[in-house]
Amino acid sequence: MVLLGKFALGIAGTAVAGMGLLCSEGMIQVKDVEKRPEGHQIHVIAPALLLPIGMHFAPKDGISEASSEIQPWLPTIRAALAQLRECDDFAFVEVNEPGRQVRLAKSGGSLVVDVNDEEESVHVSAPIRAMATAVEELAAVAPATER
Amino acid sequence: MPKGMRNLALLCALALALSTVVTAAQKDHYLHIKVDDPAKGESVNVNLPLSMAEKILPTVNRGNLHQGRITISNQDLDGVDLRAILDAIRIAPDNEFVTMKHHGQNVRVAKSNGNLVVHVHEAGEGGHNVDITVPMKVVDALFSTAKKDELDVAAAIRALADAGDTLLVSVQEATQHVRIWVDSRSSQE
Repeated sequence: MVLLGKFALGIAGTAVAGMGLLCSEGMIQVKDVEKRPEGHQIHVIAPALLLPIGMHFAPKDGISEASSEIQPWLPTIRAALAQLRECDDFAFVEVNEPGRQVRLAKSGGSLVVDVNDEEESVHVSAPIRAMATAVEELAAVAPATER
Repeated sequence: MPKGMRNLALLCALALALSTVVTAAQKDHYLHIKVDDPAKGESVNVNLPLSMAEKILPTVNRGNLHQGRITISNQDLDGVDLRAILDAIRIAPDNEFVTMKHHGQNVRVAKSNGNLVVHVHEAGEGGHNVDITVPMKVVDALFSTAKKDELDVAAAIRALADAGDTLLVSVQEATQHVRIWVDSRSSQE
């Protein structure tokens, strides 16, 4: 009985540690709600760690073009993401027009995009740290001569 | 209280005070742009930390922009020696340099309290008012490069951050109002 208890404790401990590791980079949240009757509602919350892992295992042929295109802008993206991580929470852009509101902001270590119009509302939130790792994974796909 | 403990407490208080002062001194400044059109119910707000702009700008090397500097050709300046003009303005006392009235439009360029000030006022319906105030330190930083055909935008942003809270541009045109300013608040509220 004691052995079984120790075994269960070990499994539970491993599960908790695994969850902790998986959530260490924060969570990516995507919410899309159509406002028309019977419109779709999509709500996805996934560990942000999956983003760079997914980039790492994605077919190289599919993302090599994007990787080549991003190369000239890598220093700029790196500088922007590094500065974003350091600065306080703030809204970059807020657009208000009749029937539509758009907001792009930094909030609690994440980049948050909110779009709300008459047809649907979209909320996307992604941790900046995970975005930086994903960008590096994408950049690494390009041939060495282009880097 | 033992003397050692008292010294330690004093040291902690001093460190706390110093850290507060340093934190306050390092408080980031933000460039705000607000475009308002109450008649159409539209507004656009843009906020950008100057420290971010200062770090990002030197990484962009495209077209005329390289390492935080913009190259301007002689053709763009149409033979005007901007540096000579600015040198003359810098040493001149506060004064109005240009006042022009033309077809209901009043233009005024002046130096006032360490700022370069430009006012454009257009009379009549649909006329616009433009007020531009640029601290001379920012102008100096802009022209601080060794090369004559370059403007150091990164240096100007640094100078702007040091200049403190400043209303840089205000444009009122028909129903639309545009404001560009710098302050230490991250939002426009």
